[in-house]
Amino acid sequence: MTTTQLLILDIKGNSLDDGPGIRTVVFFKGCPIDCVWCHNPESKSNEVELSFDQTVCIGCDTCLEICHLDCLSRNNPYYIDRNTCDLCMECTETCPSGALSQVGKLMEIEDVVQLILKDKPFFETSNGGVTLSGGEPTFNMEKTSKLMQALKKEGIHILIETCGFFNLSKFKELIYPYADMIYYDIKIMDSVLHQQHCGVSNEIILNNFRELNRDYQRGGIKVLPRTPLIPGITDTIENIKGLVEFYHAEGVTKTELLSYNPLWHEKNLMIGMKNILSSDEKMTKFADVKQEQECRRIIFEAGIEG
Amino acid sequence: MKQAKSSMNLLTSLTLKLMASQFNLRPSLKKYLKNTDGWINFSIGIKTENGTVEQAMLFNDGRLKVLPYVPEDADAVMRFANDDVLKEMVKITPNEILNLVMKNKMILEGNMAYLQAFNFYISLIMGKKHMKMLEKAKLQEENSRKEEYGSDDLEISKEVNERNNYRMKGSAGEDPGVKHLEDPYLSAYSLDDFPRIKMQHEKYFASKPAISSERPWLLTEWFRENGFEDDKDGNPWFPELRQAYAYKYLMENKEVVIRPDSLIAGTCCPEDIAVVIYPDTTGTMIWGELNSIDKRILNPCTITEKTAAELHDIYPFWAKRITREWVRDKYNYPLSQKIDERAFASFNFKTVALSHTIPDLPTLVNEGTNSIIGRIKEQMNKLKKDETDKLKTLQSMIICLEGLNTYASKLAAEALKLANDETDPKRKAELNKLHEICNHVPQNPAKNIDEAINSLWICWIGLIMENNNVSLSPGRLDQLLQPYFESDMENITDPDEKKRYIEHVIELIACYFLRNGEQLNLVPDVANYLFGGSHAQTAITLGGVTPNGSDAVNDMTYIFLKVTEMLSMNDPNMNARYKVGVNSDTYLKRLCEVNFITVSTPSLHGDDAIIESFSQNSDVIEDVRDWGATGCVEITLSGKHMSHTGATSINIVAGLEMALNNGYHPLMNWHLGPETGKIETNDFKNFDEFYAAFARQIEFIIANTVEFNNMASEAYAYLRPTPLLSVAIQGAIENALDVTRGGAIYNTSGTFNIGLADVADSMMVIKKLVFEEKVITLQELKNAVDSNFENDPKLHAMVQNKVNRFGSGDDEAIDMANKVAGTIHSFYKSHKNYRGGDYTVGFWSVAQHVAYGSLSGALPSGRLAWQPFTPGLTPHPSASKSFLDNIRDVAKLNPMYMDNNIAFNVRLVPSAQDSREKTVDTMFSYVKTYFEQGGMQIQFNMINSAVLRDAMANPEEYKNLLVRISGYNAYFVNLNREMQLEIIERAEFGI
Repeated sequence: MTTTQLLILDIKGNSLDDGPGIRTVVFFKGCPIDCVWCHNPESKSNEVELSFDQTVCIGCDTCLEICHLDCLSRNNPYYIDRNTCDLCMECTETCPSGALSQVGKLMEIEDVVQLILKDKPFFETSNGGVTLSGGEPTFNMEKTSKLMQALKKEGIHILIETCGFFNLSKFKELIYPYADMIYYDIKIMDSVLHQQHCGVSNEIILNNFRELNRDYQRGGIKVLPRTPLIPGITDTIENIKGLVEFYHAEGVTKTELLSYNPLWHEKNLMIGMKNILSSDEKMTKFADVKQEQECRRIIFEAGIEG
Repeated sequence: MKQAKSSMNLLTSLTLKLMASQFNLRPSLKKYLKNTDGWINFSIGIKTENGTVEQAMLFNDGRLKVLPYVPEDADAVMRFANDDVLKEMVKITPNEILNLVMKNKMILEGNMAYLQAFNFYISLIMGKKHMKMLEKAKLQEENSRKEEYGSDDLEISKEVNERNNYRMKGSAGEDPGVKHLEDPYLSAYSLDDFPRIKMQHEKYFASKPAISSERPWLLTEWFRENGFEDDKDGNPWFPELRQAYAYKYLMENKEVVIRPDSLIAGTCCPEDIAVVIYPDTTGTMIWGELNSIDKRILNPCTITEKTAAELHDIYPFWAKRITREWVRDKYNYPLSQKIDERAFASFNFKTVALSHTIPDLPTLVNEGTNSIIGRIKEQMNKLKKDETDKLKTLQSMIICLEGLNTYASKLAAEALKLANDETDPKRKAELNKLHEICNHVPQNPAKNIDEAINSLWICWIGLIMENNNVSLSPGRLDQLLQPYFESDMENITDPDEKKRYIEHVIELIACYFLRNGEQLNLVPDVANYLFGGSHAQTAITLGGVTPNGSDAVNDMTYIFLKVTEMLSMNDPNMNARYKVGVNSDTYLKRLCEVNFITVSTPSLHGDDAIIESFSQNSDVIEDVRDWGATGCVEITLSGKHMSHTGATSINIVAGLEMALNNGYHPLMNWHLGPETGKIETNDFKNFDEFYAAFARQIEFIIANTVEFNNMASEAYAYLRPTPLLSVAIQGAIENALDVTRGGAIYNTSGTFNIGLADVADSMMVIKKLVFEEKVITLQELKNAVDSNFENDPKLHAMVQNKVNRFGSGDDEAIDMANKVAGTIHSFYKSHKNYRGGDYTVGFWSVAQHVAYGSLSGALPSGRLAWQPFTPGLTPHPSASKSFLDNIRDVAKLNPMYMDNNIAFNVRLVPSAQDSREKTVDTMFSYVKTYFEQGGMQIQFNMINSAVLRDAMANPEEYKNLLVRISGYNAYFVNLNREMQLEIIERAEFGI
């Protein structure tokens, strides 16, 4: 990877739910934290991966013939022996159905900008722009900063979605000056539980938020804290009350609670990951409406717009 | 290969003999062998393709006779694929027989009217059995729909039916042409505020249309008395004059009707909702259905015994005076007609109607017929005495206008009579006013909006009585009516009275929509499949720019949009123009909101692309700026242009199939095209060579479709010249030439070309996988296509996944679509039409992407045999997950190749959680960007598949659910199952 290359999971145009207007979302690959429920598990690793989608495979066996390391097998529930596979990607090129595919692609910053510019006319008629998401867009701030600077030059509105686990001074230097809005994930208030479910303590995340939120209150760019409602993990009454307490202390008046979407479990299988939650029934179904309403009620009654 | 006669031959002979003896012996049947003109004589042959069966039935002077051979001069022959199809024929109802043609199981040759007559006679014997079969089939269909598509969610229809409950407000002051509306969106009003309209609207959707014989009966009466080819004295008629006299007789004798509560006088027919019959085009197509049309599954119509008897009596008079049959006789059944009648490679719409144009209503309304008669007389005075054709042509125009004036006077008398009998004072006053109005217009210039609308409606009735009610389009009515609206308003000072006047105008326009909707075009059962749900296609066009280029959006634009939203009717077909940089955001957002509320109307057009494109046909920019949509989407220069925009269609896919098979068409089992190279002997060394073969096949198809269209034009000029329409298109009076002969200022013919996306995608597969990447050979690809990919799932997956399609954002795929469009455009432009004008080229499909699809094999793109193509030129659903790619690619098509417009169908599914404002803003951004990028046309279906499936199962909940097919609107519940599923399978983009 050179200094002008980004590891991109995907670039999706026409997003209507990732900020104002019509937006193009750049999904970075690689994330510093490890949430067990991650909706984009294929975005966690900072490496290119090979993915296999059983539902698309037509069983033509072309890949079995082409693989020079014989690491594909129908007897393997994950299909790919990832210890042997050298990621040559020859099988993805010959797979006629697209069942085998490469996850993550190194792209020149300039090429990413050119792709985004195709959507610019839509940003202009909708007051939309680009949303940097992930993975984690701050995972490699130097490069992300270069992308943001190039986009700013084109007059494009930039929203950054972040997990908040970053070096603040670096963030203020490299990211903040070029962002127009921040969506900031605050997941679990209890630091032990945070460590347990997300792999890191929430201390840095909360501290960073305090700083950025104060800047916002002093006229800086808008920061919107957001919480995904994960059954039994983030949607507990304790956690929501903890959020309210934190928001009151920090003078936060607006948040967003994101409904749970269980459609991520198959994605784990595709990249050969086991996930303990996939056997948990409440995780594989859409969330209990009552619990979600209760969370929203608490936020509402605390005087916070949600 | 000829085979020996089979046992089926004997059985056929026995069956026909049984039929013959019934008619020969039973007086109750025998009476049908005769009409006013005498015995009905004709002959029908029955054959199988392999020679196992050959029989004929002779109808001769009141006797039926069975022949063991098909005579040379048989009027029509039914050629069945084999014995099995013939057996199947016995089990089906007459209305389904033409569907056998669509499935390519049977070929009909010869006079279609007599074939329908034969079906009629069969139905006389089989009638009761057929009824039972139809009822059973109908019940089965209803039940299977409930089983297959029914939903447990009883609330599912609620959201779409309640969209009208919330209405956005518009900002005032954004449109310079809006002078009086404080809220241009008129959000305060709904149908509930107009109880009289609501009642008429409810009645409209509760009524079944009736077949009307008034028009053809009166015309035939006149022709029987005065002759058709020759007059009473045996001298050949001058066709224009003959039509004019007959027309005048019709207008003098047709029933005058003023509907209860209507603010507009007159109707096209006496029946509440009427199907108008034109026996010289498609009228005889329901001869075989006269006894069953009320029982058929799709779009049934009522028919009285008297109407059925009248039609059976006049059809024999017309059987050889039909455009199609006239061509067959005169040109000895040319190849171009044979191709047309198999309906797989081209289909001529002129044999249905030539009325796809926009008459000059502004002149009729603003000037009045009396002054026009004066102008025609002046023109006659300028001519020399020996210029008899010109003199007769002009005289015909005057005769027609006199007929129209007589009709108006009779309406005035009827209004007075009704007023005298009326007890309700409000209605009495309205009727007295109608009496005054009809005494004044259309003879004289209209003075106010009531007179203007009544004048245009009376003229409209006049035009419909002359010409088929298929796609005759009123054009830019907001432009015509705004000056009347403004001058009326200037006379009102009291704000309450102003408000009441605006409400009155809404009611007036609603009355106009309802009256217009009361005349339907004829749909023979086969047309349920070819043009499912298609209707009279009265296209009204709103907005855009004026001839001098300024903003044309005005108060009336918004009033029309309000009525469109309130009534949600399939006809008139609403179209709106949008000019980037001139028309306001407020206006465009309103167009989006009305589309959301009504699900699918109006259709939206980009003025920049259209004006750029059509300028190739006119140097006068003011004329081009005054364009209006015609029929589905097509471009006509208002009032100056005999555009017959829906003249003929071709199936581009047929050209590709023939190129893959050296000129042979596999499904048709017919080697008709030029020999352009064999894949089997490796004749194509590179992509260009293969493309050249395709181009030659397309050239062949276009040459044939043009030839037949030009012949049909000649037939029209003789059988049904149109003096009244000629008055209403500028140039004809000055040239003293009927518009069917080229009298208009502009004289193009429009074509629509189907399967562009499917062919572009297929060409990309051939180019990339065969010739560039050399992953497969052309022979391998052809083998897979020939077997419908059944033996080659790997290749099938590859062609669908490994090549970028049109609509994916890939520049090469866009170039390919442009290349195919350019090829088609250049071939058409090398021909002239009968009137000396050019052909224009469009890429929209009515509903023929389904019909042509059902007669086409598998394609290199991976589309399987018999499946629909994409509608219009819409990208395939798998082209891209991002709707933005679709928008950009369609906008990048070269408008110069598309001077008869396009249809870009888009299905958007708004999120239930989003506010109306957010939904409208998103639609607005898509449309505005599309037009800024050079987009030509876009149309929406704002509905998700679950609701559409529910509508298939529970049609009663969705009576006026409008959907866009390709260019036109239809009520979803009136569509055949294949078309309903085709809409459900279209790409669905969530917003």
